[in-house]
Amino acid sequence: MAKLFTHIRLIAGALALAFLVAIATSVSAQQPSMVNPTADAVKEQQLLKELNRIQGRGTIPDVRSYVLEQPAGREWRHFHEVTLRWIGGIAVLGMLGLVVLFYLARGMVKIENGRSGRKIVRFNGFERFVHWMTAACFIILALSGLNITFGKPLLLPLMGPEAFTTWSELAKYAHNFLSFPFTIGVVLIFLMWVGGNIPNNVDAEWVKRGGGIIGNDHPPAYRFNAGQKMIYWIVVIGGGASAVTGYLLLFPFYGTGIEGMQIAQVVHAVVSVLFIAAMLGHIYIGTIGMEGAFEAMGEGTVDINWAKQHHRLWLEEEVSRSPKGARAQPAE
Amino acid sequence: MLIKRTERQTRRSSLAATIGSQTGGGLDRRSFLRKSGLVAGGLATIGALPLTSVRKAEAAGPNVAGATIRKNICTHCSVGCTVLAEVSNGVWIGQEPGWDSPINRGSHCAKGAATRELVHGDRRLRYPMKLVNGEWTRISWDTAINEIGDKLMEIRAKSGADSVYWLGSAKFTNEGSYLNRKLAAFWGTNNSDHQARICHSTTVAGVANTWGYGAMTNSYNDIRNAKTMIIMGGNPAEAHPVSLQHVLEGKELQRANMIVIDPRLTRTAAHATEFVRIRSGTDIPVIWGILWHVFKNGWEDKQFIEQRVYGMDDIRKEVEKYTPDEVERISGVPGAQLERVAKMFATEKPATIIWCMGATQHTVGTANVRAFCVALLATGNVGKSGTGANIFRGHTNVQGATDLGLDIVTLPLYYGLVEGAWRHWSRVWEVDYQWFVDRFDKSTAADGKVTTTMNTPGIPSTRWFDATLYDKKDVGQKDNIKAMFVMGHGGNTVTRMPQAQKGIEALDLLVVADPHPTTWAALAPERKNGTYLLPIATSYETDGSRTASNRALQWGEQIVKPIFESKDDNEVMYLLAKKLGFADLMFKNIKVTNNLPSPEDILREINRGGWSTGYCGQSPERLKSHMAHQADFDMLTQKATTGPNKGDYYGLPWPCWGTPAFRHPGTPLLYNTNLSIKEGGGTFRARFGLEREEKLPDGSTRKVSLLGNGYYSKDSEIKDGYPEFTLGVLKKLGWDKDLTEAELAVINKVNPTTPDAVSWSIDLSGGIQRVAIEHGCIPYGNGKARANAFGLPDAIPTHREPIYTPKPELVAKYPTLPNAKQFRMPNVGFDVQKAAVDKGIAKQFPLILSSGRLVEYEGGGEETRSNKWLAELQQDMFIEINPADAAERGINDGAWVWVTGAENNSKARMKALVTERVGKGVTWCPFHFAGWFQGVDQRGNYPKGADPIVLGESVNGLTTYGFDPVTGMQEPKATLCQVRAA
Amino acid sequence: MARMKFLCDADRCIECNACVTACKNENEVPWGINRRRVVTINDGKPGERSVSMACMHCTDAPCAAVCPVNVFYTTADGVVLHSKDLCIGCGYCFYACPFGAPQYPKVGNFGSRGKMDKCTFCAGGPEADGSKEEFEKYGANRLAEGKLPLCAEMCSTKSLLAGDGEVIAQIYKERVSKRGYGSGAWGWQTAYRESIAT
Repeated sequence: MAKLFTHIRLIAGALALAFLVAIATSVSAQQPSMVNPTADAVKEQQLLKELNRIQGRGTIPDVRSYVLEQPAGREWRHFHEVTLRWIGGIAVLGMLGLVVLFYLARGMVKIENGRSGRKIVRFNGFERFVHWMTAACFIILALSGLNITFGKPLLLPLMGPEAFTTWSELAKYAHNFLSFPFTIGVVLIFLMWVGGNIPNNVDAEWVKRGGGIIGNDHPPAYRFNAGQKMIYWIVVIGGGASAVTGYLLLFPFYGTGIEGMQIAQVVHAVVSVLFIAAMLGHIYIGTIGMEGAFEAMGEGTVDINWAKQHHRLWLEEEVSRSPKGARAQPAE
Repeated sequence: MLIKRTERQTRRSSLAATIGSQTGGGLDRRSFLRKSGLVAGGLATIGALPLTSVRKAEAAGPNVAGATIRKNICTHCSVGCTVLAEVSNGVWIGQEPGWDSPINRGSHCAKGAATRELVHGDRRLRYPMKLVNGEWTRISWDTAINEIGDKLMEIRAKSGADSVYWLGSAKFTNEGSYLNRKLAAFWGTNNSDHQARICHSTTVAGVANTWGYGAMTNSYNDIRNAKTMIIMGGNPAEAHPVSLQHVLEGKELQRANMIVIDPRLTRTAAHATEFVRIRSGTDIPVIWGILWHVFKNGWEDKQFIEQRVYGMDDIRKEVEKYTPDEVERISGVPGAQLERVAKMFATEKPATIIWCMGATQHTVGTANVRAFCVALLATGNVGKSGTGANIFRGHTNVQGATDLGLDIVTLPLYYGLVEGAWRHWSRVWEVDYQWFVDRFDKSTAADGKVTTTMNTPGIPSTRWFDATLYDKKDVGQKDNIKAMFVMGHGGNTVTRMPQAQKGIEALDLLVVADPHPTTWAALAPERKNGTYLLPIATSYETDGSRTASNRALQWGEQIVKPIFESKDDNEVMYLLAKKLGFADLMFKNIKVTNNLPSPEDILREINRGGWSTGYCGQSPERLKSHMAHQADFDMLTQKATTGPNKGDYYGLPWPCWGTPAFRHPGTPLLYNTNLSIKEGGGTFRARFGLEREEKLPDGSTRKVSLLGNGYYSKDSEIKDGYPEFTLGVLKKLGWDKDLTEAELAVINKVNPTTPDAVSWSIDLSGGIQRVAIEHGCIPYGNGKARANAFGLPDAIPTHREPIYTPKPELVAKYPTLPNAKQFRMPNVGFDVQKAAVDKGIAKQFPLILSSGRLVEYEGGGEETRSNKWLAELQQDMFIEINPADAAERGINDGAWVWVTGAENNSKARMKALVTERVGKGVTWCPFHFAGWFQGVDQRGNYPKGADPIVLGESVNGLTTYGFDPVTGMQEPKATLCQVRAA
Repeated sequence: MARMKFLCDADRCIECNACVTACKNENEVPWGINRRRVVTINDGKPGERSVSMACMHCTDAPCAAVCPVNVFYTTADGVVLHSKDLCIGCGYCFYACPFGAPQYPKVGNFGSRGKMDKCTFCAGGPEADGSKEEFEKYGANRLAEGKLPLCAEMCSTKSLLAGDGEVIAQIYKERVSKRGYGSGAWGWQTAYRESIAT
């Protein structure tokens, strides 16, 4: 019985609501008998509270100019002037510090058994070309990018405004134009090496053993160990992200509005400084951090003993693929 | 490097030091304002400071050493803003705010602030051109004038003088307007018209027929005194932006009611305290709806009606029919809202009605305007500060051009076309009357009587192409229109452009004398020969006076010499008169130097003949002195408080009685009985006879006086109504003794046989005016205003549905007027309306199409669309459409649409602006665009380099038939269309 | 020393665009660059208000803060100016500006957007006051002549006020108290971190 009542109430309520809606629509279809535009005027503070942004209509074709006010610019400015400097400073200087500490603590990782004199091809010419093209672009992009954030406090006082502007303008051109070969490089890197960079069980072991950074351990690895895979994915993802966000900034208002560009700039900047920090590590390990590593990208070949030490599984693979060790060349 | 920063500081502190030295240190508010010329609106308005203390600092000079300052008047509307030009080496290098102008106080709108670009002339016509086999070819001025003159004479010989149409301009100076009308008179035709036809002709007719003169009764500045203002059918925020300075400050200071009644929630309405949305074309029901409440509640001003108004009872009878329900049925406005509006309007006084083309551009335009006047009369809101009919006109000098008779029904200054008028001007021009009679086309009636078209109103500019295309026998003159001589008039401002295109093709001769080629040159590509383009200087390149909407005359100086090969209007008219062989007669009393007639002499001639409207006291010397001493005039009262013009009202607003030597101060408010006539007061004009015989219901008749009833202006020696003054009237009063001998001699010369009949308006001595005014009486008599304007087609305004109405069911009850022949042309509006209802046009074209103005552009827009600073701000023609209508049609904001019109299979491609500004079922277009026609881009039709920057479809490509019976006004505000996505 | 500010009284603004063309006229600003613009909020609805906006010459201006090459400087009058000679056209000021003031001559701007341009409060730039170079790069220097920006001076309804912040705030305050309504000193909170108590 009570249930029935509830039902009736519900139906009656729905009917009443429908009736009200019907009345409301029929009333609104007619002209309201009181319109006072002065009293109805929008208020700035109220609009800002609602959206933190005020947008309207204008007559010139430039629709972005219809945004009247967007106080978010202040927040972006805080990011750029304060947050980013901290993130960038900590990341870049922190990484440099780490590397220095590590070098002091560990020194160069030697080829334990000495050079065998026998070499094996690790990267072919095309791979090296792509790597170096990307790397060169990266360095210039990094320096010219860092200039935008750190040039003003660091270089401007040293260089003076005119020279600093000339340099910054060149740097900006370089940054804009070199973004293209860099992006192509990142794409090629992704395609070239994606096969060797899919994480697998070996990586788990490698990671578990800390990559052998501490002590004299050398966990086995295929062509790329987990550390290198990490670098690879940092390059692919970080490079991709900075390229996409960079292009959004390079072609303003094509893909996004002002907030989009602010976000793009934040992503671009954060990804880039982290990217730079990671690359500092990569550069260290590829140069003074490890004996025999630079040759891989420098000449394209590595010593068999180096390969044994760092990429045993890869070496075994290579050897088994050509039992005669065709690819292992005797030293001359 | 930025060492400049410190330099800047030094210099800045030296500025501060100078200020400091004046005020004893620091930068106090007052001296800061003085020094910086801070916009006067704020403090001056709120009364914290006298206006003088916020005037421009003397220290502020022009940018460039040696630049001189010249003053002219902005050409883009009728407010009359002073343009202050800095000129260096003959180049207009900068614009400064004209702080001293009591009208605009330094302000401008987008057009005024960009007006310097007009004279830079990127897109101006550079030299005379002629269309030869479809190609624009450069010719010399001599060739142009010779060929045009020969062709005109040929047409005259073959088809008669009336076959040449002289279309003049509201951008002429007063002197140019007058010359243009004079030229038509000397040529021998009354086919002389200008933009007033299509903007306020109905105002002029309706208002003049109510109380005497057809002009703004008060002024822009005076609106500050209103406690209630109704803005109906006008969007001054876009059309007259500087007027809003007065409107909004008035609204703020008085906490006034600002009621906007309009089909659109306009930019003006956005600042209203009450917005009433009506259906286009229902002004009369809405006004009667308001008056219904006024009469019902007894809010009318009974004493005012009793003393000063004729025929209000007839109005009451009509108003009774417009009950709140009926008004809502017709217009859509709820009765409760109108009651509130009625109460404010009738009880919170002073109240004013402001209107513009939303009211006038209708088949019922004259009746609309009459209804407004009646509402003012019923509530006693005329003839006092803060009240009145504040009619905002459209161009710099549309008031002046109207006054000076660029019109098909009158000679200069409303003298009409009767023999007396011709004789008056013959005397002023010192040309024999018979000479003019001989100039006009003659026809012999069946009874052998020879008549001329001299006294017959000409063809309105809204019908010129009909007069070109119709069968000759349907045009009430000797032959069709064969030649259009167009000076400063757009080709896209008249409705029914598809017909105009055919009309242009049919002409024998088309002359476009304009700074720009205009739509006339581009609209009809099928026309391959016989078009001449004459480059004319803008108003900034010529000297002369201009009359603003408030009837004040301002003298504008030539800022720079005409650029390129341009010539000013006056010179071209002189050259043409010379070619046509009557220059000596026409310029008899006007000095001509190097083919350039002296504008001062022309104005003096106007003064000598302009008695009827009080254009007699504004000598060039007085006007120039006003411009030179603008700062002496008070902003609110417009009166000079000091200086050589002390006591004068700014610009000597007409009527400025008597000779210049009489030093009448001008009339800032018409019909203001609180001032003596000598100080600018007035009464309603006794223009409609002394009494009227009325038929009573029982069939008997009675005579009712039309003169003022027991009221009179201050200091009047006659304490009641009185007729207009003639020598005879003066004699009856015994005042003729006050006339000087010289004055009497002139009066006797005017009419040697019956000098007693010489009236105040034809007395060339000004003596009759002088004597009447000395006795405190107004020369034109003290009469009643007419609520019942007997003689007009709708003596009592009554609602009539637009020809193309979205509510055909109302046509039976409210049909348009029957067909009739008007102005030599048939007006078949009734048939068109009936056919539209029968064919169900409203079903095919369900949306109301209305048009109006954008702030960036003016009129046909050729000039302003050629101005890069303005063109950038409005780059596309658009149609406003309500979101509901847009959604039904799948139209997005900013998308291209096709708009189709109800006649001529017309269509136009433009962008959609989806907005709630227009109600459901309503669309609205700006009317400034041209250069695209029926979907075709016509840019190639303009002479190279003279095409406007922005082109677009003209709304008049879509507008339709319909004419006001009193003036031939077109109907661009209420027609029908359909819109679909493109 | 005066602290120059702009204030747009939206209850007076009628979107007449006089400020926009006055700016173009006075500074010979080319097509496509809009140092000042008018934006209408709630267009076509009863609450519609229009606001004229340009560089507000912010206190502690974000554009100046984020500029990587430090081209901005604030004059003693509080006017934020910049050096086009030093600008590298990076667009950062545009990201930071709450009012969309910075303008660039190139729209499709791959490589460079060109030198940033913005409202100078009619106060020119670093070049000598009233010099030809200053005019060509930045437009007029009215402040040096003892005049205020032409946009405000020519405003049709005296809606746009320019001048000493205290003075114009006072004008606005008195207007609001006189008329009894006010939609706010648009942008003041964002630009100057202050609001006008009315």
